[in-house]
Amino acid sequence: MVPLTRLFSSTLGRKYLMGASGMALVLFLVVHLLGNLTLYAPNGDLINTYAARLQGLGIGLVALEVGLALTILLHIFTAIQVTYTSKLARPIDYLSPKTKGGPSKNTVGSRNMIITGIVLGAFLVVHILQFRFGPSMEEGYTTTVNGVMVHDLYRVVVEAFVQPLWVAFYVGCMTFLGFHLRHGYWSAFQSLGIINPRWSKPIHTLGLLLALLLAFGFLFIPIFIYFTQSGGGNP
Amino acid sequence: MSASNSKTMNVRLKVWRQEGPNAPGAFEEYSLSNVLVDMSFLEMLDTLNEKLIHEGKRPVEFESDCREGICGTCSLMVQGQAHGPVRGATTCQLYMRSFQDGELITIEPWRAKAFPILRDLVVDRRAFDRIQMAGGYTGAKTGPHADANAILIPKDIADRAMDAAACIGCGACVAACPNASASLFTSAKITQFALLPQGHADRKRRVIRMVDQMDKEGFGSCSNLQECEAACPKKISIQNIAIMKQEYLKAAISADFRAGMGSADGGA
Amino acid sequence: MSIETTPFSGKLDSGVPAGPLEKKWDSYKANMKLVNPANKRKYSVIVVGTGLAGGAAAASLAELGYNVKSFCTHDSARRAHSIAAQGGINAAKSYPNDGDSVWRLFYDTIKGGDYRAREANVYRLAQNSTSIIDQCVAQGVPFAREYSGELANRSFGGAQVSRTFYARGQTGQQLLLGAYSALMKEVDKGKVTLFPYREMLDVVMVDGKARGIITRNLNTGEIERHAADAVVLATGGYGRVYFLSTNAMNSNVTAIWRAHKRGALFGNPCYVQIHPTCIPVSGNHQAKLTLMSESLRNDGRVWVPKKKEDCKKDPNLIPEEDRDYYLERKYPSFGNLAPRDISSRAAKEACDEGRGVGESGLAVYLDFRDAIKRDGEAAIRERYGNLFDMYHEITNENPYKVPMRIYPAVHYTMGGLWVDYSLQTTLPGLFAAGEANFSDHGANRLGASALMQGLSDGYFVLPFTVTNYLGTHATELLKKVDTQHPAFEAAEKEVRAGVQKILEVGKKGSRTPTEIYRDLGKVVWEKIGMARSEKGLKEAIVEIKRLQNDFDTNLKLTGDDKLNKNLETAGRLSDFLELAHLMAQDALDRKESCGGHFRVESQTPDGEAQRDDEGYAYVAAWEYKGRGKESTVHKEPLVYENVKLSVRSYK
Repeated sequence: MVPLTRLFSSTLGRKYLMGASGMALVLFLVVHLLGNLTLYAPNGDLINTYAARLQGLGIGLVALEVGLALTILLHIFTAIQVTYTSKLARPIDYLSPKTKGGPSKNTVGSRNMIITGIVLGAFLVVHILQFRFGPSMEEGYTTTVNGVMVHDLYRVVVEAFVQPLWVAFYVGCMTFLGFHLRHGYWSAFQSLGIINPRWSKPIHTLGLLLALLLAFGFLFIPIFIYFTQSGGGNP
Repeated sequence: MSASNSKTMNVRLKVWRQEGPNAPGAFEEYSLSNVLVDMSFLEMLDTLNEKLIHEGKRPVEFESDCREGICGTCSLMVQGQAHGPVRGATTCQLYMRSFQDGELITIEPWRAKAFPILRDLVVDRRAFDRIQMAGGYTGAKTGPHADANAILIPKDIADRAMDAAACIGCGACVAACPNASASLFTSAKITQFALLPQGHADRKRRVIRMVDQMDKEGFGSCSNLQECEAACPKKISIQNIAIMKQEYLKAAISADFRAGMGSADGGA
Repeated sequence: MSIETTPFSGKLDSGVPAGPLEKKWDSYKANMKLVNPANKRKYSVIVVGTGLAGGAAAASLAELGYNVKSFCTHDSARRAHSIAAQGGINAAKSYPNDGDSVWRLFYDTIKGGDYRAREANVYRLAQNSTSIIDQCVAQGVPFAREYSGELANRSFGGAQVSRTFYARGQTGQQLLLGAYSALMKEVDKGKVTLFPYREMLDVVMVDGKARGIITRNLNTGEIERHAADAVVLATGGYGRVYFLSTNAMNSNVTAIWRAHKRGALFGNPCYVQIHPTCIPVSGNHQAKLTLMSESLRNDGRVWVPKKKEDCKKDPNLIPEEDRDYYLERKYPSFGNLAPRDISSRAAKEACDEGRGVGESGLAVYLDFRDAIKRDGEAAIRERYGNLFDMYHEITNENPYKVPMRIYPAVHYTMGGLWVDYSLQTTLPGLFAAGEANFSDHGANRLGASALMQGLSDGYFVLPFTVTNYLGTHATELLKKVDTQHPAFEAAEKEVRAGVQKILEVGKKGSRTPTEIYRDLGKVVWEKIGMARSEKGLKEAIVEIKRLQNDFDTNLKLTGDDKLNKNLETAGRLSDFLELAHLMAQDALDRKESCGGHFRVESQTPDGEAQRDDEGYAYVAAWEYKGRGKESTVHKEPLVYENVKLSVRSYK
């Protein structure tokens, strides 16, 4: 056994943390997307019920949220460490480095995980402010579902996505998410060493599918709402 | 020894020149005409150096030895690629036929903090030796051992160990990695001994110490870009890196591996 | 410049223990002086070179407890040229149950060496061979294996049993990395100190014993002094005297030549191995030739067209009846696996008759057509894939479709510093191991035996003989000599002056080291190469002296005394120029043909080498007398008590 501090301060240890936190975040994204599918329902009842149920978890929800926040912070923290170490490791770069192709996964996306990561981090702040800490029940965003008064989250969402700029912002950010996942998903397996030659390719392909599914799954929501809601109903 | 039928070409070269480890460096351009298409890349540089000596200039320092791709001495970044554009080859196995007539060819040294430049294109790769020193061996002493066939090793395992052992220690993996990580080099040795029964007695100590040393040398972190495998003249797989990660984690959390042992031995 | 040499006493004593052949080494070990464990740490040993012999010796001596200083010219001990050996390593394990034994390996080696090697040394080599395999497996060398999990064997030239162990086409690499890993283990323990980037430029003798060396740091240019109680030279062979060879660019004779100049006798310098299967020379720009492993001859068939006019034709269009499989024709029992010297000479003869192929007419075919037909392309790829790829890269031709073109090239030098049974040179305390000594291969080395000898010397001979030396001279050696001793002072001064002289001349002259070197190579290849004549050798001496003069007065060099590859080349060339002279002299002196040494005046009616056992069954050990001066020869008679000298026949 080596002390945990030493384990997790090694370049390998940091990648274990990054891979594990990344995997947890992928899991969260899948759940999040499934939850968001309620937005496709004709009126806001489904999403509002879902939101109310989540709120109903009380302390449980807080725990989940704190856990999620810590995971994200860990992911960001190790990312900064990894990037910093790597910058130090090559103080002077080549004139115009070029990939040798073949098995290389060295692409604009994979090479710039830190950039896509920073964009996603910034997005996250906006996203949380907008929806988690957006217009509340006190500000009149209420509705009744099955006779119970609940927070009208649906209205918050719709009010955002009828605006083309917000739609563009979300679509853009979700594209970055796609690129981040494209390398990140497979990479997590490799970082944790839970991969073998037989599964490496399928996992890498699965990474592409997952990246497409999650990115499009998320980015189609604002588009859907824009086209279904901006013409009619709400002011 | 006639070369009368051989085709020739002209090339322009943009070469990194640097007097010494602490001196500033810069690119210099040279042009060379009537280069034989069948020449090796290093023979082309030999020709350039002959020309420079005759002009009273200091030749370009670069390293090479076996010139058949096995010693790992040659080490150039050619056109932004470690060992040049051909996969599965070292710089000494690169031929001028891989370039266009009139092409401007950029030649740089391996660039990594852990590989300081000594002069021009020559870098100091002794960091690899120190990683090896930390555990790249079995404990076997010289002298009598059990008969070689007393240890049976399945062919597949022996072959995989050989795949990893084929590493020539050239440093292309570090040079090509956007993070200047030495994970491929380090993991190849760890994997060889993780696969072979001869390496099992000290496998935990080995992986902990070698990884510690790798980090201490100032190499970057692996971002799983697999550029190292693409650049490796022996096409060593990043599967070895995955194995290293397993080995390290297993050793780090293993109860029968004594904490601090690495540091007690000067490993940390 | 005068070098103070240790004059030779005049008597060559091989020091072979008495008793029956198979008991000699045991008897040596039983009677040797030991050094007690507590005293071992009081001794230090310098090992120059980190190839199989040097790396193994340094690791083994350190394991015993001595303080070892290991020197190499490279950045790392792992780059020594042993790494380039492809084919394999012989050992009398007899795993295939095909009748092999220590005796047979001994006999094959003596016979392969054309009866010009010392019996006792060769027998010891064959005995040690089996321990080497055990040792390497214990180190984790990934030898090729069968599906049963047991070690695989292949056959090699000059033998009718399969006794060669291999690791794909990279056996030398794997064995070297084994020795290197053992060495690094000792570095980690603090028992070995590495001195990379160092070129040894002199041996320091104090009171008649080797007590240190002078080196130049190839990066900083510093001239340094290093003291020890014994010095081992394991610096490889001198094949680069030919300029074009399969040896690495940095392989050189300098370390052993400087020792020779200090008084160590040089044994059999004219014994050079020309390897039959190399990629032919393609032009004047070439710096180095590439070997294709001899193992290719297991499946490839060597041929040239019967008719001269077919030589430029597409080989695949030449019908069977117009092909001359000359090795199979001349040597039916060994066929394509005839020993190297014989195969090389046969290729030269074919080309001399005008039946050579390729652009230059200096090549023969090595054809895999029949093997591919018999075993399938996949099987051939499995066996030789990397070699075929290598050939393809270099020549731009696909050997699966078109026969390879091959031609002999210089590959190995059997000659080297004369050593006794304990591998000690004529300078007390100075040992030579591996290719750097002359000892085990006689006039020709069999395939897969160089790796065996290097490791035998390093792992299993020097640890005993160096110990014996230290134990024997304990009283004297325990009085430490430090690097302030006048002998170090003087040696350093000479070395410094030598480097400065090259730099000074280099400012004024007009010919680069490479230009002079290339000329030297041409002379040595043409006149001291595959066929040697009295006339040619005499001409060679004249030309070599002219080139020496060229070097001494007309050298052109730029750059400083720090990292400067051309300065390194120049220094090494200076020594090669003297060595070439000695090779010509030795070749002139040996009027017989034997092994790699073929005197055209001494051949049988059918053109085979004609040995003269009456006149030449001796080792020629040469004493240095000065640059451009004739050396003097001392003879160690070769006594054969166990094998009968016979005409070497592979027919």
